[in-house]
Amino acid sequence: MKRTSKKNRTILVLEDEQSLLGVIKAKLEKEGIRVLTSRSVEKAFSSDLKKSKSGGITLNSVKTALKHVEDLEQVDAIWLDHNLVGEENGLDFVTKFKRNAGHWSKIPIFVVSNTADPDLVKTYIRLGVNKYYVKAENRLDTIVADIHSSLSHA
Amino acid sequence: MTPVIANILMDKELAHKKEIADSQAALLNVLDDQKRDSEKILKKKAVDEAILASIGDGLVVVDKEGKITYVNQSFEKMLGWSSKEVLGKRIVAVVPREDEKGEVVPFNERILNRVLRGEVVVADLTNPFYYIRKDKTRFPSSSIVNSIVLDGEIIGVVETFRDITKEKEIDKAKTEFVSLASHQLRTPLSTINWYTEMLLTGDVGKLNAEQEKYLNEVYRGNQRMVGLVNALLSVSRMDLGTFIFEPEPTDIPLLVRSVLDEQMPHIIQKGITVFPALGTNIPLIQVDPKLLRMVVQNLLSNAIKYTPEKGKIEISLTLTNQKKCLLFTITDTGYGIPKNQQHKIFQKLFRADNVREKDTEGTGLGLYIAKAIIDNSGGKIWFESPSSNYVEGEENTGTTFYVELPCKLLEKNK
Repeated sequence: MKRTSKKNRTILVLEDEQSLLGVIKAKLEKEGIRVLTSRSVEKAFSSDLKKSKSGGITLNSVKTALKHVEDLEQVDAIWLDHNLVGEENGLDFVTKFKRNAGHWSKIPIFVVSNTADPDLVKTYIRLGVNKYYVKAENRLDTIVADIHSSLSHA
Repeated sequence: MTPVIANILMDKELAHKKEIADSQAALLNVLDDQKRDSEKILKKKAVDEAILASIGDGLVVVDKEGKITYVNQSFEKMLGWSSKEVLGKRIVAVVPREDEKGEVVPFNERILNRVLRGEVVVADLTNPFYYIRKDKTRFPSSSIVNSIVLDGEIIGVVETFRDITKEKEIDKAKTEFVSLASHQLRTPLSTINWYTEMLLTGDVGKLNAEQEKYLNEVYRGNQRMVGLVNALLSVSRMDLGTFIFEPEPTDIPLLVRSVLDEQMPHIIQKGITVFPALGTNIPLIQVDPKLLRMVVQNLLSNAIKYTPEKGKIEISLTLTNQKKCLLFTITDTGYGIPKNQQHKIFQKLFRADNVREKDTEGTGLGLYIAKAIIDNSGGKIWFESPSSNYVEGEENTGTTFYVELPCKLLEKNK
């Protein structure tokens, strides 16, 4: 089907919960999407680079994630949780990303969080994220399908 | 002069002298009493002043021109001004008052001045304000202002106020706790949701029928938890008063239709027929659409849940009261609400016996939340359930819920 065009797609997933990271990665990979994961914004880059079996790269900080994006990959979309490991949260990531990332700042960001605070949602939208999902109120496959169709129309 | 006359004269003089002496003594007594009374009054005045001075709340009294005639020790302590420095000065000049954002309240809008003019002012507790101290720092304050009336005339105003910094901090902590707790509760729920979804869609291998059945039960149980956490979060926010109402001009018929579409799968599954009469020419109404949506969702889902298969639900939107109010009604042919439990129906976590027997699901919080939303929007919500003697196979009168949105909301848009 459309599998071939999806093969080149890479998504960076920023999520602090290991178990959720696991299922999100599994679902995205089932759809043929390459997944980079990260749990926080903080930790230093080099010491934490690990290659997983499938060729994906697992990181442990958002600072790392930012560097990663800068240095290497063509990331097609970002899946971002609000609460992350370390001092900085998703809002900090978006602010920095939009400010520093140059042409990367066009990369769509999908915020997937369990915080439903309306002020927070508004802030994210104002910063230019594509959509905000409340985890507990959405099926995983719905979010994945949504992100898919945005990528195909990119 | 004969001795007799001399004696009489002497007696008269003695009597006269005695009279004077008696009068003097009486006068001295009166003066004594007065002195004692004076002392008592002075003593009482001193005690009264000591009481006023010691009142924990700040106290300030102003005259008809708004000039300070008295301040107590708490005033001095809280604001940093000594009594001597402020007596005779206009209070609104000595103690500026500003809102959260730092905008100073203008003189003629100050409550003190309004009360002096004879206005009755009811404090707006949702609008915190701050008093500015002598050293220009500020603190959040809560105050009560009343006019002093003597012989039917306003002779001044008295205000008591307190520093509510601590209370505000506690409130903030409670709100943050509720937010954090709900997030923490939702995380494991999301984990269960998503892993179960993947199992059910066959992403990790094919399931046999029984496995699928069991997993569906797990999923449903989890969904109920999610609903409960959401409801608890709403209830908490409502109780804390941190629920924010953001009214905007809303197309109510559109909103109702959208909720209907959303719940259509369940309606079809139960074979229920819906008769919507959503009105024509209903103007836009100033309400918070997110919150009103919650109310409509709750009433509709209740009607569906508590009506057996192949039942009927009627929905209508009409303008009433000379087209000044909007009335939303929803009638079902369901189980009804038992008469002896009707008074409890809006209570937190209450579910009537008849629906619990029927083994339907519900948090018991939906109507509590709905009522809180409608009450806070200035509207009314009520119901009629003539009988709850549900008879299988017959058409039952079920329950009708009414929501009236306040008339002034419509007037604003005319």
